[in-house]
Amino acid sequence: MSEVLLEKVGKVFPNGFRAVSDVNVEVNDKEFVVLVGPSGCGKTTTLRMIAGLEEITDGTIKIGGRVVNDVEPKDRDIAMVFQNYALYPHMSVYENMAFGLKLRKTPKAEIKKRVDEAARILGIEQLLDRKPKQLSGGQRQRVAVGRAIVRNPKVFLFDEPLSNLDAKLRVQMRAELKRLHQNLEATIVYVTHDQVEAMTMADKIVIMKDGVIQQIGDPYTVYFEPRNIFVAGFIGTPAMNFINGRLKRRDGKIWFAKEGFEVAVPDKLSKALEKYKDEDVLLGIRPEDMYDKMFAKDVKDEFTVTGECEVVEPLGSETLIHARIGDDEVVAKVDPKTRAEAGSKMDLVLDMTMAHVFDKQTEENVLFGKHSLEEFKA
Amino acid sequence: MRKKTFEKIAFSTIGWFIGLVWILPVMGILMTAIRPYSEVIDGWWRFDSFNPTFSNFINALTHPTASMLEGMVNSLIIAVPATILPLLLATIAGYGISRYKFPFRKSLVVAVVLTLALPQQMIAVPLFSIMSNLGLVDTYAALILVHTAWGIPWITFFMRNYFKTLPNDMEEAARIDGATDFQIFYRVVLPNAFPAIASASALQFTWVWSDFFLALILIYSPDRILATQRVPLMRGQYHVDWGLLSAASILVMIVPILIYIFLQRYYVRGMVGWSGK
Repeated sequence: MSEVLLEKVGKVFPNGFRAVSDVNVEVNDKEFVVLVGPSGCGKTTTLRMIAGLEEITDGTIKIGGRVVNDVEPKDRDIAMVFQNYALYPHMSVYENMAFGLKLRKTPKAEIKKRVDEAARILGIEQLLDRKPKQLSGGQRQRVAVGRAIVRNPKVFLFDEPLSNLDAKLRVQMRAELKRLHQNLEATIVYVTHDQVEAMTMADKIVIMKDGVIQQIGDPYTVYFEPRNIFVAGFIGTPAMNFINGRLKRRDGKIWFAKEGFEVAVPDKLSKALEKYKDEDVLLGIRPEDMYDKMFAKDVKDEFTVTGECEVVEPLGSETLIHARIGDDEVVAKVDPKTRAEAGSKMDLVLDMTMAHVFDKQTEENVLFGKHSLEEFKA
Repeated sequence: MRKKTFEKIAFSTIGWFIGLVWILPVMGILMTAIRPYSEVIDGWWRFDSFNPTFSNFINALTHPTASMLEGMVNSLIIAVPATILPLLLATIAGYGISRYKFPFRKSLVVAVVLTLALPQQMIAVPLFSIMSNLGLVDTYAALILVHTAWGIPWITFFMRNYFKTLPNDMEEAARIDGATDFQIFYRVVLPNAFPAIASASALQFTWVWSDFFLALILIYSPDRILATQRVPLMRGQYHVDWGLLSAASILVMIVPILIYIFLQRYYVRGMVGWSGK
């Protein structure tokens, strides 16, 4: 079994900077876990602590049930792929991949078998005699992955492996890595700052900020049930819209009110909002949950908001509308047949069943866990 | 456009002028060395007759009292170990300083840099007395030891700066691959440090080979003196054979020049050793 367990892990650098605090993560066997967050959030430090390249200040790290706090990287049975590939420039592709096995005194025939096998999986058989500098970025990345595969480790660690590749190649490699994960049935811990990478590849996403975990969950959960404002704003493109307003109670319903409009909160969600009535809150609503009224059927007027359309971005399959609602700017992802024009007023319909309400002080999502996820997944 | 052309011409002219001034003495020595005495007595720049000959070189190499051949062999006996030894020690030291944290690391680097500023003349007398106490005066061991000691600080500094430019990722990858510290050093770092090692070797070798001062202090037996020490001996008391003298000078110069030509490919890349902080 090759699960990784981080218990109350913390890291303070010698200069006194606290990079990571109280990190608790459980990476199950064969799971693909992505650590994601903006730069400086501690995700790479966390990965490096798992690898053993960084000492742990507090807590415990277990790999395959064994505490590895004081175990050398080479004895942790892990392999790591670095952002800039970190290939050995003076060795051929074959030697790069064989190096780890050679050091472990693996028999020559076995090394050849494993390297050939990895090269076949990655489609780099014809490159085995080349030097790294004769390879393109994508090929180098494959070699770096190959170097990890041949070792057949318990856990694979990836540190932003795709960020040096161009956009098109990145999409391709993303799918390739995911396929590789499925084929190898490997346990993977993957670090990225790109939330799209996190969403598309992960079984489980760990979102970090300032060295603290904000939320752990599968892609659906973190998308549909963000725990706080940070997660809500970080996951998803375009980002979730935040509208300042106040909750009111009228006619037995909870209303989100802002200058010029009021929208009702569905009964299912309103119970949790009871104690926030007459308080200022942030309404969070994703761009795809805002519709052009012309194309929204069966919507009551109370859900409609009039905004000032500022920019129209047609993307083909959909159109992004940048609109102003009072003093808040929002982005709506609407039907491409919209007739909205920049500078004119337009009616936007908010799907309030998908809305989130955030406490302005704690930044927590008041409606966390109140939506039924199954509904969204379906 | 016109201004650019003018600038180009001006810069080229200045460049050529500086180049000429630079090369002129070398040309002079070369011309003097390859022509018979009678042709250069009125100045090497006169070409009334031109009969190139190797006799000056042959005479210098087989000089009865100060054979250059013997001198060059002696110089090699000093220069080769006095290059290899400090490089070996200082490369390891430079790597250690660039990668490992230990108490007083900064002070050590400062100490190393300070010794670079030390003028040789200042240590001449103490050096002689130390070697005299050790009974090493007029031995090659003394000179090799001094050159090694003199080379270690700057090569350490030079290599440390170079190692700082090498990406750490590569070494971390090797660590995860299962390499020990020493394996990382000699299987991953060293092969990639070749440009710096080549530059440092060329510089140290040239330095030792061309040294006159330290040799003068420590070596004096006629059969042990080095190539550089033999050049002034080519001059007679009443008669100066400029051709012989020039040929001897060229023989001394040619070895470092050959080394630079041989290592040129690596030399430039390795020079980042001077650029780091």
